[in-house]
Amino acid sequence: MRFIPTMLATAVATSIFSVAVTAQEQDAVQQQDKSLINISAILNAGFTSRDNDFEGIGALPVDGDHAGGPEDGFWLDHTELALSGAVDDMFYGKLTVVLEEHDDSTEVEIEEAFVQTMGMPYGLSVRAGRFLSNVGYLNSKHAHTDSFVDRPIAYRGLLGRHYYDDGVRLNWVAPTDIYVELGAEAFAGGQYPASSGDTVGSQVAYAKFGGDISDSTSWQAGLAWLRTDNDPNECSSHDHDEEEDHDEHEHEVVEFCDFDGDKDFYVADLVFKWAPGGNYKYESLTWQTEWIQADEDGRIAHEEHDEDHDDHEEEGEWEAFDAKNTGWYTSLVYQWSPNWSAGVRYSEIDVDAAYDEHEYKPKAYDAMIQYNHSHFSSLRLQFTRDESIDGEEDDVISLQYTMAIGDHGAHTF
Amino acid sequence: MRIHSKLVGLWVVGLLLASPAQAMNIFACEPEWAALARELAPDANISSATTAYQDPHFVQARPSLIAKLRRADLFICSGSELEIGWLPALQMRANNPAIRDGQPGAFYAAEQVERLDVQEQVDRSMGDVHAGGNPHVHWSPSRIASIAKALAARLQQLDGEHAALYQQRLDDFLMRWQQHIGQLSAQAKPLKGTAVVAYHTSYRYLFDWLNIEQVGDLEPKPGLPPSSGHLASLVSLQQQQPFALIIFSDYHDDKGANWLATKTGVPAMRLAYSVDPNKPEMQDLFALYQSVIEQLLQSVSAHD
Repeated sequence: MRFIPTMLATAVATSIFSVAVTAQEQDAVQQQDKSLINISAILNAGFTSRDNDFEGIGALPVDGDHAGGPEDGFWLDHTELALSGAVDDMFYGKLTVVLEEHDDSTEVEIEEAFVQTMGMPYGLSVRAGRFLSNVGYLNSKHAHTDSFVDRPIAYRGLLGRHYYDDGVRLNWVAPTDIYVELGAEAFAGGQYPASSGDTVGSQVAYAKFGGDISDSTSWQAGLAWLRTDNDPNECSSHDHDEEEDHDEHEHEVVEFCDFDGDKDFYVADLVFKWAPGGNYKYESLTWQTEWIQADEDGRIAHEEHDEDHDDHEEEGEWEAFDAKNTGWYTSLVYQWSPNWSAGVRYSEIDVDAAYDEHEYKPKAYDAMIQYNHSHFSSLRLQFTRDESIDGEEDDVISLQYTMAIGDHGAHTF
Repeated sequence: MRIHSKLVGLWVVGLLLASPAQAMNIFACEPEWAALARELAPDANISSATTAYQDPHFVQARPSLIAKLRRADLFICSGSELEIGWLPALQMRANNPAIRDGQPGAFYAAEQVERLDVQEQVDRSMGDVHAGGNPHVHWSPSRIASIAKALAARLQQLDGEHAALYQQRLDDFLMRWQQHIGQLSAQAKPLKGTAVVAYHTSYRYLFDWLNIEQVGDLEPKPGLPPSSGHLASLVSLQQQQPFALIIFSDYHDDKGANWLATKTGVPAMRLAYSVDPNKPEMQDLFALYQSVIEQLLQSVSAHD
């Protein structure tokens, strides 16, 4: 009598065991489907025809490295190599290395090297390391996802092509029907447009909102504030044209590193996307616009040319300096087939009289047409009427390809 | 207003049952999984990220979806890379640890069953091929049954309090499903051996079930839109290997199919792809299967 229950127990145990094994095998199969590390490369190059290479944007204190558009002739720009994946069950990590060509030398930049928490409760998340700041809409996006060859003039003239830095971010997604994300970032302040000597050199606070108006239309809006400062002792400008241009300085030009004081950037962005029935494969329309104000409050080193200025940096005279530059852009891109899209963009900057007594408004008009063979390859032809510099109207034509190989991550809205 | 009063009704029922737990929030990537969730967990708050008229490969990781996923206790998606272009971005930004991959709140339907066309080696020159196999599994009746079982087990794991209720609903669903499929299989017999050209491999499992043979694809490679050169090759295919129907889904463009139809005289037909709760003929999985098979039967008999 005793061995019947034993047999039963064995049978039950065996069946449980076999179920467990099947489940394990299934897990193993699923694990194989997802590789441990995602590797992707973005290949981006083109040819540009223009009369004048980059000479600045109005009288703004910018340099070609951070503010220039495509240069005349063949170029290779923003070649990107990214590695990403789950670190363990708690962290996700990503490394993005960007190769850029400047004045015949190849520069390797680490654009992103961050870890992010994946398991924090209450809708919270922390990101630490080097990453693209969430100030503005375009800033946190990789250049290869843009619809135009270059960033709009409002970005290049004020924030630079993008602001990334070393630091930490805390963000919170609200448990609401409407999308609300609030975040705060603290950075070293060592990357353009920050040049701070403080331990925590820049701070960002941002809010993002979004929702659907219908199946066909979605929107997102954002507000952000970036506070940083410029410390001339920490500053190094990449202005390659400085020497050649020196003779042309009829009146005093404020360079990036002359300024000592606080910088506040206020950014507002709004994006609408539309596709019939929400089916983005065949037809869609994207309208996006951003407004950026850069508020500078501090002093500038005042060069007295007729005096002995051996040690003017230490003892030189300072002059109060206060400027408010405001830029914006708006763009509309229409996609009418799985392969084709076209778009227009306008951007300008209202330059403060402190920089330019004539208050010349740098501006650019763009029109582009793009062919996508697949989701991973695109060919773009762009025409730009570039009026960055007073009196120089440059008609720029660029032909560019952007291609992605490897595990290409999902795109954000 | 109807939906509103229904929700209030559900809420009152919930209160009467004195259930201390809140209704579960379920995020379905596609409407077919929202429909399956409604069969097993009708009291849950269920939303679908896409409609039956959207290509599930091309969905924007839009803010409203981040907000929904933020509050989800469970997501039900196809997996097998169908949502690879948008779901990871949502998971990344939703800040919800419950729905990370590997957690009980992450449920990939296609990964619960054996898939067709699993690729040993995939490279992008082959087009947008899913290495893990065809993800459009909701067109396989037997796989729907397996997925329903796995989903019920997952719901029991997440909401143990109502385990018996989920079991009861599963049993009820499986019984009705088997009966429905039995009838449809018998009805669909004349479709056996029909040769068709279709847009993408969206109906791979339907054709497998009904023994319909897809002899050509409007796409030159998976994910690439029909090109004129490729469509011309399908015209000559008609001479060598005659096909009776050109099929495209609700979310596909009809241009290529119509062009081929005028060149070959073979009828082009738009088939429903997924569930639309607002249309009686597509309101759930039962109605969807029925209307698609009726549509196929009509066109085949009209052609004879």
